[in-house]
Amino acid sequence: MKTIRKALALMLALCMVLALAACGSGDKPIESKAPESKAPDTTPSDQGGEPTAEVELLWWAPPTFIQDADDPAGTYEQKLVEEFNASHPGITVKVETIDFTTASDKITTAIESGTAADVLFDAPGRIIEYGKNGKLVDLGDMFTDEFKKDVGNDDLLTSCQGNGTYYMYPISASPFYMAINEKMWTESGAMEFVNLEGNRAWTTEDFEKAIEKVSASYNPGVLFCGGQGGDQGTRAFIANLYDGSVSDGKEYTFNSEAMLKGLTKAQEWIDKGWLGNGVQYNGGQSIELFVAGTTAWEFCWGTSAAGNNAATMEANGVKAISLPFPSADGKPVLEYLVNGFCVFDNGDAAKAEAAKTFIKWLCDNEENVTRTGAFPVLQSMGNLYPGDAEKELLVEFTKMYGPYYNTMDGFANMRAQWFDMLQKITGGGDVTELANAAVEASNAGMAG
Amino acid sequence: MKKNKITPYKVISVILLCVVAFTFVFPFYWIITGAFKSQSVAIAMPPQWFPTEPTMVNFEKLFKNPAWQWMSNTVLIALGSMLLVCGTASLCGYALAKKRFYGQTIVFGLIVCAMALPKQVVLVPLVRMMANLRLRWMYYAIAVAAVIVLVMIVVSAVKNSYDWLPAAARAEWKAKDYLFRALAVLIAVLAAAYLVSLPGLISGTPEKTPMTNTLWAVILPTVGWPFGVFLMKQFSETIPNEILEAARIDGAGELNTFLTVVCPIIKPGFGALAIFTFINTWNDYFLQLIMLQSRENLTISLGISTLQAEFATNYGLLMAGAALGAVPIVTIFLVFQKFFTQGITMGAVKG
Amino acid sequence: MAKTPARLNSHALKRHETMVAYLFMLPALFFFVAFVIVPMVTGVVTSLFNYTMKNPVSPETFIGLKNYIDLFQDKTFLRAMLNTLILVVVTVPAVTLFSLWVSSAIYQMKEGVRSFFRCVFYLPVVTGTVAVVVVWRWMFDVYSGILNYALTSMGLIQKSIMWLGDKRFAIWCIILIMFTTYVGQPIVLYVAALGNVDQSLVEAAQVDGATDLQVFWKIKWPQVMPTTLYIVVITTINTFQCFSLIQLLTEGGPEGTTNTVMYYLYQNAFSLYKYGYANSMGVVLAIIIAILSAIQFKVMSKDVSY
Repeated sequence: MKTIRKALALMLALCMVLALAACGSGDKPIESKAPESKAPDTTPSDQGGEPTAEVELLWWAPPTFIQDADDPAGTYEQKLVEEFNASHPGITVKVETIDFTTASDKITTAIESGTAADVLFDAPGRIIEYGKNGKLVDLGDMFTDEFKKDVGNDDLLTSCQGNGTYYMYPISASPFYMAINEKMWTESGAMEFVNLEGNRAWTTEDFEKAIEKVSASYNPGVLFCGGQGGDQGTRAFIANLYDGSVSDGKEYTFNSEAMLKGLTKAQEWIDKGWLGNGVQYNGGQSIELFVAGTTAWEFCWGTSAAGNNAATMEANGVKAISLPFPSADGKPVLEYLVNGFCVFDNGDAAKAEAAKTFIKWLCDNEENVTRTGAFPVLQSMGNLYPGDAEKELLVEFTKMYGPYYNTMDGFANMRAQWFDMLQKITGGGDVTELANAAVEASNAGMAG
Repeated sequence: MKKNKITPYKVISVILLCVVAFTFVFPFYWIITGAFKSQSVAIAMPPQWFPTEPTMVNFEKLFKNPAWQWMSNTVLIALGSMLLVCGTASLCGYALAKKRFYGQTIVFGLIVCAMALPKQVVLVPLVRMMANLRLRWMYYAIAVAAVIVLVMIVVSAVKNSYDWLPAAARAEWKAKDYLFRALAVLIAVLAAAYLVSLPGLISGTPEKTPMTNTLWAVILPTVGWPFGVFLMKQFSETIPNEILEAARIDGAGELNTFLTVVCPIIKPGFGALAIFTFINTWNDYFLQLIMLQSRENLTISLGISTLQAEFATNYGLLMAGAALGAVPIVTIFLVFQKFFTQGITMGAVKG
Repeated sequence: MAKTPARLNSHALKRHETMVAYLFMLPALFFFVAFVIVPMVTGVVTSLFNYTMKNPVSPETFIGLKNYIDLFQDKTFLRAMLNTLILVVVTVPAVTLFSLWVSSAIYQMKEGVRSFFRCVFYLPVVTGTVAVVVVWRWMFDVYSGILNYALTSMGLIQKSIMWLGDKRFAIWCIILIMFTTYVGQPIVLYVAALGNVDQSLVEAAQVDGATDLQVFWKIKWPQVMPTTLYIVVITTINTFQCFSLIQLLTEGGPEGTTNTVMYYLYQNAFSLYKYGYANSMGVVLAIIIAILSAIQFKVMSKDVSY
């Protein structure tokens, strides 16, 4: 009995020691910084917040910048921050790497509990949503006439706005397109239908003939709809088939005649086995099938998918050919990703100003643009990838950009409707009925 | 009492067990071997059942990051929660099971309702609270209380184990349950610090030293989560009342009864609770995700997820992380296994 | 207490016990109230507001029970509730019976063998959901899954089945995976509880010529009842709150057949930013769980005898 008592006493004591130790270790990083930031912070801000006051910024960075060779995630960002801090006395930026898959959960919770970072790197879809809900700082003064002229693309500028206010400062953009497995298409004799000239635009008719051949001997690419990830690929594919569009800028219109025709066609192809059933896969998982050499083509392709999977494809002997989506008139319209920064409104004007300085410094830097693997939004930067044939092709793709609808109201709700509709269509449901229902629900979701 | 008769039922059940066990072992096997496969091998078709060219590349990649720091953070969180949960839950569970007091149904009902409510509902207010708790005050409170409690523990241990005291004084000492009071002091100080911090919670002014982004932000809510209380209550239900009555008649104080009579009986419960808490904490991704942010404060699973690129899951890395995480868990499991077998059977206690 | 008063009156005794009991519960209650109850109350109260990312909680956004009324007209929610109930009805008995069977089969084995099996059934818990799900998804895959491979090579099926993408099978796949990740803890608990069964009673019964089955039902079963109650209640709660499996495997599809209340709640809160609505879902879920738990307590506590 005594031993047990002693053991328990020991456990309690240990618990205390551990508690203290945890305090010590947890406190250190904060403690060490507190004196420097606190001392200058209290005095000058009392005098009316001069710009010289010490400002500390927190930057949340998903792994978007390409790192040098074997550097762990966040190395380049850390280097950038150090450089910035050295050249900008009065502003201290701290960077925290966040991950793609769970970032939104973290950001949402942080916003609601008032613990959000100051600067966030993301795509417009979510950023504009935060902006419309009043959580971001208006970046309007950064979009000078000169800047707008340099961008020279209204769609791109719209992608940075929510309800007419600029919330995102763009750094780079890149198109979403599709890819085919060169070996499989060559061996099944489908390459004759593929246009490898110029911007590689091709027609729905050719695509149909090609997939008939390829799917006879290989697994067809899947029309993935197992979840929301990468769904821009399936939307662009369906829309281009008969030149429809997902939205008209005011409402969702994927029950238009052209879209219905595209959806019906896709359903028909799935029945025939010319197109893979993708109910089980989301975009990311569908990419895994493609890069492993399981499926013959992929609808969710882009610079980051190609870059991050390069090593895997090489090991599996997969060579991807980038193509725009096939369209009825041979003039495809592509969706695209815009990378950019937003500034959270943490109720501190000095911080907001410092954050603007920081993101401008980040974005107007050519190396940072190439580090995103995408194309500059500023025309004045010119061609940042001289001599790279693939990038030159993609520049052709960038000319196919269509209107940007990811910042429309109810976009998140529409995505949920979209993949659910595709699942039902894949399962053999009535296309018109399903599309009408999904559009109705999507448009109803715009109000909420 | 040896029952080594081999009946057909036993043979069949062992065979069945082995078959089912295979389903459970296979994913684990696949994860461990996957940790030693490069990305292309990991997703190769047909699958490679055993890595013919085992590679350390995943671990190398992992340890380019502060992976040891992440591991030690995770261990600290898991161990801290484990110790605190075991201590608090066993006391509380015992009282709920064996005391008849006013408000019993309400307390227990609240506990069940709290478990029934999804954590997602609690998250936002919880983060808000953590962001507004004055960290340093809590630290001071814990430090002060810890010193008091340590002194009291030492004093009570010395007093109890030496019989230089007159017998009457010892009995009185026992009955007064100094440990018990020490615990009450600790909690009182903590509660005071918590209450003092609350104004910040209401007015919502951001703190200079918030509780978020410290390991405490993960440990404290885990300790509050009452599943351990429920588990220990169920284990305490099996304590025969006669034993408690006997201890009372012997003049043992409440806490003495708990330590010397109750604890040995619910030892298997301790073992189970320790393992469960450790593993639940280890695997509780969501709470860690929203509470921690500094790279040096991350846990191992959070850290690994920051290494994944968009549109390309690195399976080798994921498996390596899972394999690495399994090591301390299996260790804990093996250590606490002993608790299950060493428990004094009730027959022996009843004697 | 050394001089325990002969039962003065039950009230005085209960008052004394009350003080002692709360002292015992103080540490746990502090953490419980401070870090669970306070945020919980806040969370529950917000379910009465039209609380979204845009509309903070304020008198203007108070809408009373509207969220709850909307909830019961929301077809997706009702469907998710139905799916969740299916999960609970299948999983809870399956987990309880299976773990009881495994434990009674292994608890009298040699220590080494017992530890081995206990470990084996605990492995899926040890490795964490994310890694386990990756393996299962691969096993269920259409193109490279071993399940399809095995079935086709045995000639049981002609064409690969899309397990997770098929309305008929998806929820059963979820149940299977859920089952493997849920039975670990109950087995550990049952082995511990069965080891604590009063051996003198068992021996006495055996001397009287009771069969193994009789010994089990008459002696062991009542003694492990508190454990069973715990397992049933906890498994019910966990199943109702099943979320990460759905998120990682199906995102509620195909065609909403695996959508659970928790996943729908998560979606509403974290991708549609309808916090008030999501919280009302959580409250409804909690009420259902609490009622079920109360029933379980009522039914199962009757059998407990000491």
